[in-house]
Amino acid sequence: MQSLSLAYRQLNTLILGKPRAIRLALACLIARGHLLIEDLPGVGKTTLAHGLAAVLGLHYQRVQFTSDLLPADILGVNIYQRETGSFRFHQGPVFSQLLLADEINRASPKVQSALLEAMEERQVSIDGESHPLPTPFFVIATQNPSEQLGTFPLPESQLDRFLMRISLGYPPPEAERALLLGQDRRTLLADISAGLTAADLLLLQNKAAALTVTPDLADYVLALLQATRQERSYLTGLSPRAGLALLAAARAWALLEGRDHVLPEDVKAVFPHVAGHRLGLSGDALGSLKKLLDHVAIP
Amino acid sequence: MIKSLLRQGEMAVLLAVALVILPLLLFLPPWLPMLVLSMLALRGALLHRQAVLPSLYLLLPLLLLAVGGLWLSLNTLVGREGGAALLILLLGFKSFESRQQRDWQVLLALGFFLAAMPLLFDQSPLAAVWLAISLLVLTWAMLILSGEMVEGSLRSAMQALALSLPLMLVLFVVMPRLPGPLWSMPHDQHVAGTGLSDSMEPGSISQLVQQQEPAFSVVFAGQAPAVSEMYWRIMIFDDFDGRRWQNVRGLSSETVQWQGGRLVSYSLTGKPSKSRLPLLEYTVTAPAGGVLEPGNLFKLARDGDELFRFQAQSLLAAHYRTVLSRADQDFYRHLPPGNPASRQLALQWRAQGGDGAGFVRAALQYFRLGGFSYTLQPPLLNSEDGIDQFMFSSRQGFCEHYASALAFMARAAGMPARIVTGYQGGQFNPVGQFWQVKSSDAHAWVEIWLAETGEWLRVDPTAAVAPDRVTQGVSQSIPAMQSQLPGLGRSMPSWLLRVQQNWQAAGFAWQQWVVGYDAGKQLNLYRWLGLGEQVDSGAVLRAVLIGGGLACLPLLLLWRRQCAQSPLQQGRDRLVQVLAAMGIMVVDSDGPLDILNKVRRLPEPDYRQLKALLKEYAAMRYRQPVPQQQARQWLRRVKAFRPGRQ
Repeated sequence: MQSLSLAYRQLNTLILGKPRAIRLALACLIARGHLLIEDLPGVGKTTLAHGLAAVLGLHYQRVQFTSDLLPADILGVNIYQRETGSFRFHQGPVFSQLLLADEINRASPKVQSALLEAMEERQVSIDGESHPLPTPFFVIATQNPSEQLGTFPLPESQLDRFLMRISLGYPPPEAERALLLGQDRRTLLADISAGLTAADLLLLQNKAAALTVTPDLADYVLALLQATRQERSYLTGLSPRAGLALLAAARAWALLEGRDHVLPEDVKAVFPHVAGHRLGLSGDALGSLKKLLDHVAIP
Repeated sequence: MIKSLLRQGEMAVLLAVALVILPLLLFLPPWLPMLVLSMLALRGALLHRQAVLPSLYLLLPLLLLAVGGLWLSLNTLVGREGGAALLILLLGFKSFESRQQRDWQVLLALGFFLAAMPLLFDQSPLAAVWLAISLLVLTWAMLILSGEMVEGSLRSAMQALALSLPLMLVLFVVMPRLPGPLWSMPHDQHVAGTGLSDSMEPGSISQLVQQQEPAFSVVFAGQAPAVSEMYWRIMIFDDFDGRRWQNVRGLSSETVQWQGGRLVSYSLTGKPSKSRLPLLEYTVTAPAGGVLEPGNLFKLARDGDELFRFQAQSLLAAHYRTVLSRADQDFYRHLPPGNPASRQLALQWRAQGGDGAGFVRAALQYFRLGGFSYTLQPPLLNSEDGIDQFMFSSRQGFCEHYASALAFMARAAGMPARIVTGYQGGQFNPVGQFWQVKSSDAHAWVEIWLAETGEWLRVDPTAAVAPDRVTQGVSQSIPAMQSQLPGLGRSMPSWLLRVQQNWQAAGFAWQQWVVGYDAGKQLNLYRWLGLGEQVDSGAVLRAVLIGGGLACLPLLLLWRRQCAQSPLQQGRDRLVQVLAAMGIMVVDSDGPLDILNKVRRLPEPDYRQLKALLKEYAAMRYRQPVPQQQARQWLRRVKAFRPGRQ
């Protein structure tokens, strides 16, 4: 746990003024989920991904998605070996512990679905041969919500692969001032020492999954799910899978809060970020989810 | 979402209140309900835009202005109309003062009160239907205001009303009855009651004839008399000034000797006009609730224009013998000068007939054979000698003309005579098994006092001219009129007639069993239930309430057991209450940590205690569910918690 809070502190010195986004990102990884960051360029998405990889001691790769990207560019390809006369698999960038998929909505649906399939299956199949991905395996994808020209928006069914969607937004003035006066972020990144190992992270993940959830809390989650299904302004309500995702995220949040059980407040903390993209709400429309939280009584 | 929900509730309240006020348009000066309705609409618009409400300094002068206008138009602020008008005006202004949930609840409560207001003016089944609609919409608004979702709320409102229906019925049956209806209010001056007029100048009743509205309804016990025997007496006119008949001298007393006749019992329901109600001739003893005036007229003991129901017995075709003093005889013989030709004819009849009966025979013969015709549109009698003009030149008219002429002739011949007005005939409603008498059945006839027998003899000259008028009613006697009078006399399609009869029957049953449910009916019901002759209504009410309460006790216990809350829930509710008293609002969506966040500013000892309690609460609910016993201990600690104490 101590190493976890150390990692949290390190990330906070790297990304200034965004403790909540950092905490959500950490919770997402601890809940074994993939993270979607929806934000404008230049607010620190890449830095956050980089930082997460650094503090967690993960192997990190970044792919800039473009419309001419091919599935093989990500997954890898079988190449003929003249020396041995056989094919050898060259791993693509997806074979890393943390993959940053920048501007995921710029790639063609073919590439998107190849990546999203790998995210779900945690393995890559090429020419009938399966290649397991490393553990842990995370994808942090980013997309720019305001530029829609020449993009392929992710369908809702694929958005479901991401446990959470967060946005960083502009830093508060104080933090931005410190950012302007402070050191280059790249240098800082280089200085970060990994407080955790991949093995530690796996341990944390198991610990989070084992946190207590009482029937009373399950009732609350149920009430929230029901409320999204009854609210007319949403196209569809949350699915049972979304309910499980919500619970997983709440568990990870509770672990970060240093508790061995989940409180309704944990559910409330992660709910807008777990439910927002699943209900097809834009990043600005999360206010309605907050109101929903105010409206649903805790049983 | 919360905000918009609240706004929905407020809109619903405005809508419901407007609906409640709507029928008052019929009974109050229309500008007033219009004003209030437009105020409510304006309030709705302000609400929709979330605009700022006008300040008190603007509202107060406006209110005074409106009340001033009310005073100018009604001359009163109390009584049925003044009170109702003032109340709805205040309601309109209250809506501009409504900001918080509580204000809106007050407005809604006012709406419930006002919903009964139209009943002060009208107690028909339609008014009851409107009341039911009003109550439904008000209940619905109450649900919406309290945060119920819109969908399904109407259903819930209906369920709530349906659940309250049995209690309403029981209370209606057993509630002790006041001697008069609750709405017996001082009579308003500017409302003219319909009915027969005070005086009679040929022409005044013809306006009544054209009205088809029901005047009163009658149920006969046993065989009903023939239509031609149904003479309903209301007023007597005993003075003639040459053009107009009126009542100048109510006889102070008369000694009547009844002879012969056939006894008929009936019950009559009608709206009194100037506290008079019709009586079938001749009624021997005064029905309960009024007195029998000389001339065999019925006058109610108290004022008011609400529906009245009474039982009476009449001697049909009896001889009505009374002694007239010389002065009385002179009074009934008095005539102004004029009409020489008629006077001469009268004396001629008297000479021909010999006695009084002979005079009557001669007169009727003259009317029957003299070329007279019955019409509702007679030529104007504008000459100085109106009776002469009628008797010898125009010879057209309706009951008033004939009654007036005959009474004049009798007096001219030296015989005491007077005109009786009221109704003649009626229509049987086979659906409701009752007789309906309409305004168009209004009639006037003559009574001549025969000196030989001392008897007031009823003579109906109209019957001599148009026998159908007294055997079949107005519409049958004037076939020529049918195309000119819309609604009157034109033969109705049979289905429409059936609809009309059914409607009348429903109205009659309503009057009989709902509006007319009085102490007597209540006593009859108790008697029928075997409760005996002497029943204290209050005791019955108490018995019903207490008995009903006891009967509901097991239900209550069952309900309590079903919704018995866990000690944890009770404790949380308790904490919420305590915090609310300290000004900290905790909502249902607050978890233990949220609550802890809200109490962070409290003094240290309180905060520490609360923190411990909430921590335990969180642990018991979300960490390790505990046995009830432990939860109850925690509940005890919550109850022991007093802010500001260690």
